[in-house]
Formats: sequence, structure tokens, C-alpha cells
Amino acid sequence: MSDTASLIPVTVLTGYLGAGKTTLLNRILTEDHGKKYAVIVNEFGEIGIDNELIIGADEEVFEMNNGCVCCTVRGDLIRVVAGLMKRKGKFDAIIIETTGLADPGPVAQTFFVDDELKAKARLDSVTTVVDAKHILLRLSDSKEAREQIAFADQIVLNKADLVSPEDMRMIEARIRRMNPLAPIHRATRSNVPLSAILGRGGFDLERIVELEPDFLNPAHGEAGHVHDEHCGHDHHGHDHHGDDHGHDHHGHDHGHDHDHGHDHSGNVAATYDDDIKGVSLRLDRPVDAQAVTKWLNDLLAEQGPDILRAKGILDVKGEDKRLVFQAVHMILEGDLQREWRTGEERYSRMVFIGRNLDEAKLRAGFEATAAA
Amino acid sequence: MNVNFEAYVTAALFDSSTRAIFALGDGTVRFEDGTTIDAHPNGSVQCACAHPSGEGIVTGGDDGRVMWSRPSGPELIGEIKGRWIDSVASSAASGLIAFAAGKELRVRDVADPAFERVFKHDASVSDIAFEPKSGKRLATATYGGVALWYARVAEQKPQMLKWAGSHVGLAWAPDGRYIVSSMQEGQLHGWRLSDVKNMQMGGYPAKVKSMTFLFNGMIMATSGSNGAVVWPFGGGNGPMGKQASEVAYDEAGFTSRVAALPTRTLLAVGRDDGRIGVMNLQENRMEKVREERGAPISALALSADGGRVAWGDEDGNAGVAGLPLM
Repeated sequence: MSDTASLIPVTVLTGYLGAGKTTLLNRILTEDHGKKYAVIVNEFGEIGIDNELIIGADEEVFEMNNGCVCCTVRGDLIRVVAGLMKRKGKFDAIIIETTGLADPGPVAQTFFVDDELKAKARLDSVTTVVDAKHILLRLSDSKEAREQIAFADQIVLNKADLVSPEDMRMIEARIRRMNPLAPIHRATRSNVPLSAILGRGGFDLERIVELEPDFLNPAHGEAGHVHDEHCGHDHHGHDHHGDDHGHDHHGHDHGHDHDHGHDHSGNVAATYDDDIKGVSLRLDRPVDAQAVTKWLNDLLAEQGPDILRAKGILDVKGEDKRLVFQAVHMILEGDLQREWRTGEERYSRMVFIGRNLDEAKLRAGFEATAAA
Repeated sequence: MNVNFEAYVTAALFDSSTRAIFALGDGTVRFEDGTTIDAHPNGSVQCACAHPSGEGIVTGGDDGRVMWSRPSGPELIGEIKGRWIDSVASSAASGLIAFAAGKELRVRDVADPAFERVFKHDASVSDIAFEPKSGKRLATATYGGVALWYARVAEQKPQMLKWAGSHVGLAWAPDGRYIVSSMQEGQLHGWRLSDVKNMQMGGYPAKVKSMTFLFNGMIMATSGSNGAVVWPFGGGNGPMGKQASEVAYDEAGFTSRVAALPTRTLLAVGRDDGRIGVMNLQENRMEKVREERGAPISALALSADGGRVAWGDEDGNAGVAGLPLM
């Protein structure tokens, strides 16, 4: 079969209408990066660049007859990507721009479900472009906007110049609560480095390196950095977490100025209970391979429609290598990765991003897979 | 003949002059004598079929055009601007050519340049098949089933043969009695048209990309398994209650293309590792046409007299080989 290197990488660009997807796409098409991209667009004619490798496709979500209730695929993409493969050699990578209202799930699942596509292409990552000025409203009234953020491998927080620094931090904290894995890149007119979007390997098991809720948080001091428990520094007295306000974090004072935060969030605070959130689990004892596999399979079978993304690194009893996995809804992929290094802290961790997640139940289920 | 065209071979066929013709992912049509026609400049051939006259080849491109290429040059048959032509089919019996882009299907008549029919679907059309005997009806594979249209009638509601799921390929039995569709999930679904009885034909490990009737419609052969899957269609019930068999079995990979002749028992089998064989189903004897391994076979055809086979693969390798009397 084809090795990963020969597969055409596919990048998905999603985000609400007017968030700046087209600007980003224009940059990818015009900047000098030595690569040729085939672009599949749903809102044809917006790009304004004449290029035979820009293809219009009408979103068609197909249900599969395989007993998997959430297993929907994009029939238009199966056809267009298969058609593009007839122009093999004329392009290096594919970018799929979804409509503002698209659910990224079926787009991603297409590349795991269709054997023909799997043999030719691999999903690289999902980028969600967010309009910082309007995102709070969007999060409140649009299920699609929430899912696009939850599904992302990275988030471009656009129109950063139109939002106050305080609001920006609050927005970032709220995004992070929904998706603790995706790095947030603050941007103005989509001016992010393209390397932050292309060639990310967001679904690549080999590239599940660390899994800390803040692991992809830009370094402290850099634009887009979100302060949190792991910073280990002074919070300047004006920062806030955005969640867990008023709680005592392990008995130490972060110096939150809650009033400050609420001044800016105002009525937003009332709508803060997003249905989608990220849940991070950790277990310091090795897990039993069979128990953890069964638990994951059962969990995804039962809650797959609600679980948008999941990733994990497992320390399996009796195994010198790291067992890594990633899931999109019910589609689970796992493999033994590299060996645990000497001196490396060996523990199991996983992150779920989804709707209606019962954190306590997930934690109990995970802990029950610990090896005897 | 053995060449490398350096472009995906979308289709291969023999026309009535027994010439082998190849249609490629670089938008060109290549005749076996070396003649090249640039049918879709800067485009690619997405689909192809024979011309109703039997001469040359009809191609659908990602430039939205349907072209008829003969050694003398290309000719425009139809166009859907800004779209890809996903599928094309023709009927020698009715002289009609049908092509689809997205949800829209158009029908043209080679004898009447003014004739055009436009049929709209609720979902995209993945394949087209004409009723083989008269060519007056046509079937389209789409999401949720197969639509049956009267090819010349302007205003109509199609008869829907419903079956949940995405239908991606079609074959219409030569006697007109059965339609078989290939589905996204690696299974076939068939209908007996007289009573719209459903036939589920499953068990494939891969998506079926190639289906062909042979031996006067008594047999249908398909790709999509380790060998070529052969379904019995003789008798009044088609394959219902009967078992399919598998010929040219090889556990190394799957078959990607099959080709046959309407009245004979010859079956050409192309594999996803580049190998090709031709067998006579009555003798169960395999003639190896290509043993070299490479990219998946993407195009395969037998000449009308059964004396030659034309083939192409996804990397642009192509050839025409003579066959012994089988």
C-alpha cells in the first residue's frame, strides 16, 4: 500500500462567513512558497483568482450504510478528490474550504472512510478561522460555529485589532475551554505564518508528541498566549481564566480581577455554559491494553456522535512503546509509537473534545482501565 | 505497443475501426498510431465512452466540455461551464450522448445539433447508463437510488429506484431487464425492472469500480475483490438465490478493472498492482498480458474480435497486446 509520504496532504479551512477564510486562501494561492495547491471551494467566485486548480463543489453529506450512526461523509469530496487524482503531478497538496455553516466532521470522516481516498490522500489538519469581533455572538447562536472551533487543529483568531486586549483574553479562554488542544493564532486580515496552517499533521499518530491541555499554547509573552495553571508566573493582576471564576485553585491566589473580566464579558457571562468542552484525563499507573481498548471502543460506540475529536498517549503495562490514538467521532485509530525514553515521565493522558461530556464519568472509566 | 503517456489513463477503448484509443489525465486523447488530440487543453479527461457512430471517442473534462475526438481533430458536443463533467455515456441504438456535471444531466443527439435535454437531480449524478437495446431510456446513479429517465422527453419526473446510500456506478443488462448499481460501501444493489424487485449483492472487500455484462447477459463480472466476481444472470430471477463465484483469484491485492465482450466468455482482469490477465470463463484458462507490477490498472478494453487488449494505469503506462485464440 501507499506510504504516508506519497499521499497528498489535505488541509481543511473552515470558519463562519466573513471570518477571513477567503483572505487566507488568497494568501495560500499567491504567496511564494514553491508549492502548488488544488483548492476545493464551496462558495465559488469569491476568490477572484483564475486558476484551473480551483474547483467548485456543492456540499453533499451522505450517510453510510454501515451501521455507524454518525458516519456521514461528503460525497462531493469523494468525487472531486478522485477526479483531481487524474491530474496527479500537477499539484502538491489540496485545500478544502468549507461553507460557513459546514460541519467539519463529515469532511474529516471522508478521508478515513473512503478506501480510494485513503489510498491517495491523507487529512493533514483542520484550521478554523474565527472573527474575534463577532465570535461571542456566534458561539451563542450557532451550533456550527461551536463545532468548527471544537474540531480545529489550529485556530486563527482574526480581526484581533478590532477587539480590546481584555476581551481578546476572555475570548481565548472561552475557545480554549472548548478546545484545549488547538493553538490560537491572533491575526489581522489572516496574517498568520502559513507554516502554522499547512503541514501540521493534526491526524498523524506519529506526531502526537505531548498532550497537555496547554501544550500548544504559544509561549508566554507571545501573541496569543493564554495564561493558565501551567504558566507558573505572576498573572499581572488583570488576567482571568474565563472559567472557574471564584473558585479557589488549589488554595493559591492567582490574583484574578474577576470584576474586570466581568465588566468586559457583561451579558456574555450568562451564556458561558457552552455545550462543547474539552476534557483532559491523566492516569499515573500503567493501563491494561485490553481494558483501555474496550473502554475506548465502548465509549465511542455509545457517545461517538457527541465526541468530535479525541487524542491520547497511553502507558500500557508490559509495553515499552507509547500507545497513541486519535479519534473523529466513532472512527478510532491507534498505534504503537516510539519507545518511552529513559527519564521520560511515563503516564497516560487523553483529551476529549465534545458535547455533553461527563467529566467525572469519563475519569472513572479511564481510571478503571489501570492494570492490576 | 507499450508506452508511458506520463498522465493518468482515464479510459481505453477500441473504436469501430479497431483502433485502440486512450484518454488521459492531461486532457489529451491518444490514438494507437501516435496521433494526439488535445481535447481538453489545460484540463483533464474525467470520463469517456464510445461515440454512437462507433468512430473515435467521447470525453468529458474538468473544463466542463464534452468532446468527440477523431484522428482528424476534436469537436465540441456539449458544455456545462465552470463545472466538471463527471460522467458520460452514449447509445449507438438511439444516437444519444448523455453527460452529467453535479446534479445536472444533459442529453444530446448526434444527428440533431439543436436537440438538448436537461434533467435535474436532487443529488449529484455519479454514473449514467443507457438502456442497451433501444437507448431510449437512461439511468443515473445518485444518492438514495437510481433515476430512470426517458432520454428524449423534455418534461418528466423520473422513476426512482430507491435504495438508501450513495450509488456510484451502473450497469444495465443487455436484455434490459436488470439494473445493477455499485455502492459507496463496497456492495452492489440490483433491481429487476419488471417488478422493481430488489437484489442485494454484497460481500465485497472494496468499492466496485468496474462492472460488465458478458456472454449475452448471462453473466456479470465485477472488480472490487481479490479476483473478478462473476454473478449468474441467466434464468428468470437473475442472480437471486444464486451464488457469485470468483475467478482469477489472487490474494495479493484487488481487481481494479474488468472488461469483456457482449456475446463471448472472454474476461480481461486488471489489478491494483498493475498486473493484467485475460481468461476464457468456459475454459478457466488465464493468459497473462502484463506481469510487471506498478500502479493500479485504471483502463481496460478488449477489441471486438477478442484478438487484442488495451490497458492503462494511474501512472500513465499503457499498452496494446495481442491475444492468442481463446
